[in-house]
Amino acid sequence: MPSLAYPVPTDLSPTTVKNATSFLKIVALALISGAAIASRLFAVINFESIIHEFDPWFNYRATKVLAAKGFYEFWNWFDPTAWYPLGRVVGGTVYPGLMATSGVIYNVLRALNLPVDIRNICVLLAPGFSALTAWATYLFTTEMKNESAGLLAAAFIGIVPGYISRSVAGSYDNEAIAIFLLMFTFYCWIKALKTGSALYGTVAAVFYFYMVAAWGGYVFITNMIPLHALVLMLMGRFSHRLYVAYCSWYVVGTLSSMQVPFVGFQPVSTSEHMGALGVFGLLQIVAFTDLVKSHVSSQNFQKLLRVSLVAAGILGASAFAFLTYAGKIAPWTGRFYSLWDTGYAKKYIPIIASVSEHQPTAWPSFFMDLQMLIFIFPAGVILCFKELRDEHLFVIIYAVMASYFAGVMVRLMLTLTPVVCVASAIAFSSLLDVYVNPIEPDVPAEEAPAVEAVPANGVTETTTTTGGKKSKKADKPAAVQASGSALSSLFAAKSPGKGSKRTTGIFGLDSRGVVLLNAIWMLAYFVFHCTWVTSVAYSSPSVVLASQNQDGSQHIIDDFREAYYWLRQNTAEDAVVMSWWDYGYQIAGMADRPTLVDNNTWNNTHIATVGKAMSSSEEKAYPILRKHDVEYVLVIFGGLIGYSGDDINKFLWMVRIAQGVWPDEIQESNYFTPRGEYKIDENASKTMKESLMYKMSYYRFAEVFGPQQAVDRVRQQPVPKTPITLDYLDEAYTTENWIVRIYQVKKEDSLGRDLKNANAFATGKKGKKSKPQPRRRALVA
Amino acid sequence: MAFKWASIPLFILLWSTSASCATSDFENTAIVRSAELGGSVVHVTTTYSVRALVDNSKTYTVVLGAYERSKTSWIEAKIKGQDKALPTTERAESDYTLIDVSLPTALSTNKTLNLVLETVQTHATVPWPATAAQTEEQKLKYGTDLFVLSPYKTLIQRTKLRSIAPRIVAHTEPQGVDKFAGDALVTKSGSTIVYGPYSNIPPSANQNFVEEYQQRVEIQYYLEQPVLEVTEYKRAVEVSHWGANVNTQDEITLHNAGPKLKGHFSRLEHQVQSYTRKLAPHLLPALQLNLPAGIRNAYYYDQIGNVSTSKLRVAPLGPKGFPRSQQSVLELKPRYPLLGGWNYTFTLGWDAPLEGSVSYNKKTGAYTLAVPILTPVPGSVVNNEELTIILPEGATDVDFATPFAPVSATLGTHVTYLDTVGRPSITLRYENLTLKHAQEVYVTYKVPFTAHLRKAVSVAFAFFSLFAVAIIARRIDLSIGPKQKVQ
Repeated sequence: MPSLAYPVPTDLSPTTVKNATSFLKIVALALISGAAIASRLFAVINFESIIHEFDPWFNYRATKVLAAKGFYEFWNWFDPTAWYPLGRVVGGTVYPGLMATSGVIYNVLRALNLPVDIRNICVLLAPGFSALTAWATYLFTTEMKNESAGLLAAAFIGIVPGYISRSVAGSYDNEAIAIFLLMFTFYCWIKALKTGSALYGTVAAVFYFYMVAAWGGYVFITNMIPLHALVLMLMGRFSHRLYVAYCSWYVVGTLSSMQVPFVGFQPVSTSEHMGALGVFGLLQIVAFTDLVKSHVSSQNFQKLLRVSLVAAGILGASAFAFLTYAGKIAPWTGRFYSLWDTGYAKKYIPIIASVSEHQPTAWPSFFMDLQMLIFIFPAGVILCFKELRDEHLFVIIYAVMASYFAGVMVRLMLTLTPVVCVASAIAFSSLLDVYVNPIEPDVPAEEAPAVEAVPANGVTETTTTTGGKKSKKADKPAAVQASGSALSSLFAAKSPGKGSKRTTGIFGLDSRGVVLLNAIWMLAYFVFHCTWVTSVAYSSPSVVLASQNQDGSQHIIDDFREAYYWLRQNTAEDAVVMSWWDYGYQIAGMADRPTLVDNNTWNNTHIATVGKAMSSSEEKAYPILRKHDVEYVLVIFGGLIGYSGDDINKFLWMVRIAQGVWPDEIQESNYFTPRGEYKIDENASKTMKESLMYKMSYYRFAEVFGPQQAVDRVRQQPVPKTPITLDYLDEAYTTENWIVRIYQVKKEDSLGRDLKNANAFATGKKGKKSKPQPRRRALVA
Repeated sequence: MAFKWASIPLFILLWSTSASCATSDFENTAIVRSAELGGSVVHVTTTYSVRALVDNSKTYTVVLGAYERSKTSWIEAKIKGQDKALPTTERAESDYTLIDVSLPTALSTNKTLNLVLETVQTHATVPWPATAAQTEEQKLKYGTDLFVLSPYKTLIQRTKLRSIAPRIVAHTEPQGVDKFAGDALVTKSGSTIVYGPYSNIPPSANQNFVEEYQQRVEIQYYLEQPVLEVTEYKRAVEVSHWGANVNTQDEITLHNAGPKLKGHFSRLEHQVQSYTRKLAPHLLPALQLNLPAGIRNAYYYDQIGNVSTSKLRVAPLGPKGFPRSQQSVLELKPRYPLLGGWNYTFTLGWDAPLEGSVSYNKKTGAYTLAVPILTPVPGSVVNNEELTIILPEGATDVDFATPFAPVSATLGTHVTYLDTVGRPSITLRYENLTLKHAQEVYVTYKVPFTAHLRKAVSVAFAFFSLFAVAIIARRIDLSIGPKQKVQ
């Protein structure tokens, strides 16, 4: 019996310990789920149960259609109000997984006589699935190390801001369910790989199908699993378990993924999916080689096989290249190129570059989103290297790939987050394993001073030595012959080789206490950080803005909904509204009016048309507006209250996108001052001042300030006092804080005049009319 | 033939009643009609000073012209100074409607009586001109018949039209009635236009008089309040005995029926107007509603979410037996100021304690529920209302009493949270409701003890079966062949 650093009860039976552990595990998972859901409800509590941002509004609208009309109607849904006059085949251009999920939940609850509002289901879907994500991460990490690491990983993913940013209540987007599907598919894959079970492989395929139906990011799985399989093969770790797992996953998964209309034949015709196909073929060859090898033992034959293997690989790659060149296989899409070259999008596809979430990640956001996990994460990856079982390779590959992608694009931080949580949990639980273990090492007294330094530098070393053999033994703690109690046998199971003398380890309670307290402090601080970031940064619906009154109470700025609701209630139902594409989904969702362009951004020319209309002068824009039946034009203007996300700040992107299609008519340089500045004051260029966007934004703005100098609070520039005249548009509505301004497009003049002349005549007429009157009066007198 | 013979008594009856009118049981010593001109609602009070000409006169007949009847949504006859409404029956003729008022006591000869007929007219005014710019004033036009018709001889008659603001733009001069008039056909003083006095008017409820003398007079006046109309009002009242709660939810479609906005809305103009406190008269910036006392969890939202610009002052629930001494006040501000011709839909709801509106009769074992028909929006008319009353699940012996007849009443079943068989519901439809109609519907029902338990039992059963399935599922081994452990 080894000496213990602190007493552990000795009179517990192994069953008691086992039952208590599993009970605690369930309680811990339940609490983690509760914390994951609760921390995502800040948005509902601070604001209301509302759909956030832009894309979720479309998902919500589609879900309403699905809930009201059924799945087949949704499948065949052609939306004539989007991309007016083109329309959009919604059923064939969405990932329906999210809407189907809410639709199923909605119908099941209704069948159970629980008529929950569809909006509440949509709002609370993401928090609900985050609890499932925590559970899936627990399972995944348990496969990597053990259950305590699993629980830590579940707790991390439950509250880490990197994941919360995309899954707060109301953030009804594909990512809401996709991260759960991602983790669960990976778990099933690992399980299939470990057991060689076709069942788990098929379950992985089914969840892969669900993922394909839910999020475009499924391509990540499509490449991660083959990459893992490829690396395993290259490392000579080919096994029949791998063969069964991969083949069952690939065949079932690919065939089922092709059932999603939006994906269709892509899995066999685009470059992104070719890796999976190639690995599938390679696996067959390797399996065949393996079979032959087991029957023939000639070394020459083996060499021949190896050569033919390489030849086949080269042949396959060149065939792929040829097919791509010949156009049989679609080349990489632009969005994919921008993953490799961050400057690519800005040069060739401004529309992708104009989206803020496609920008490269700034380094502070890593710390903001992951806090301490970001620096524990490498330790976990190194621990995986130490042991390097098949599944550890998966974590390593995942970590490398996701780290790269997260650095390229802000939104891909989301795919990095799970692996960071897993790896950090492995590292953290290894640390705890070492320092919680009460067994004192058997070392002669004189060596004691040398070990004093352990807490400083020995962490990784000791953890790895313990972590190395522990999990194998932890699987069967009963096999360990415990001389003392059941609890100490549990620890004994975690300590390296029984019988052999422990020469390294931690001495005494104080050294343990220092490290553990530090660890607990870090964990506690992590929780505070996550809560703070979630409540401050990630829980704003962005449809509703909040500010503070002078007495500290919350003041809601609700201009967006004011304008959208005005449109919804007081304009004709078929009145086409033109706005920049950011607001397309919101207008469709909240105002229920046809829009020219929306966040779907599938037609660059159409968006460029809107950009051209916004950046041209009134006379040039008017024919464009009339040809598209535009009734109202909506602009966002933050100059009065200092809302910086307004259209004037986005204006250069409109110009750039329009320039991409009409380089002769729109030139970006015309919108800058001669000194190259982007100004809206007196010095603004003539083109800028004449542009529709400028006029609509600042129309009558200077009058608000009366005799004082008008100031644009976003750009901190004085606004010229010269009144802006609009000849082709009429101001129809402006919201309380002037954030949304809506203009009505005038109809052609009934006398066939140019509207500018008509307007000039109308204003001039008054002057003429007033002149003759005194003369007439004089005559009467 | 038999048919003809059978109809003779009816014919005699009809003839005798019309004859009784013709023979004049009464004489009107004076009729004064005064109309309070508002927006969409006009209150008309007509006072008849009646003198009986024969003994035992019990039924007095008042007359409304066809146009007025079509606009009138509320009729109430009272003896002046008394609260009790008298029973009335209506008989429609081609040009007018006869309303028989049963007097509480029969009048003997030469006895006099002051009868007050109160009517509420809805949609009787039209914006004139039909459009107004944001900076312009709001003018309305109201038209009515010059004479108050009566089957009896009238000694003197006046019609007063009074607007709220003392600014009247124009009015019609009556034609061809000099025969009845004294010094002036019409006089204007401040906010009031008086037609009359006209004296010695013969019995006028007949075709001849209507064709010869009856005419339409119109008045155009300024109104400084917006003209409001609730085009659609859906109220659902749900009673929960388990929650000791009565939930009321109103879905209201508000429409500004004043002059349509000419041109467009200018925020700058509006801000200047608010700053100088001279808001356009046809603009509705906010609304004040009186809700019941003691309410909780009030909510106000519209199709796209919560509207955060509302204030609620809850009055405490009065002691039992003295309810509604005070009312809670809800100040709600629509998302945008409501200008002429604009619409605004919103939903308003609240919870109220059960004891505030339900009482239990120990003798019969029945509950009585009082449901207010509507929460009046000040100065507005409710064009269509649908009132749904949802009783607790398993309620039996459902009966209801309405203060005035609904357009239609249907019984149905409403299924909601944790229901198994659904709850009985009553749906009543009404048209053209005003402040006067803000009364209560009384519903009586019984809830057996077993019905109270149904919810608890069904939930318990659901959980029990869930656990049972889980217990069984964990113990079923579906694997083929012996299990093999793979490392």
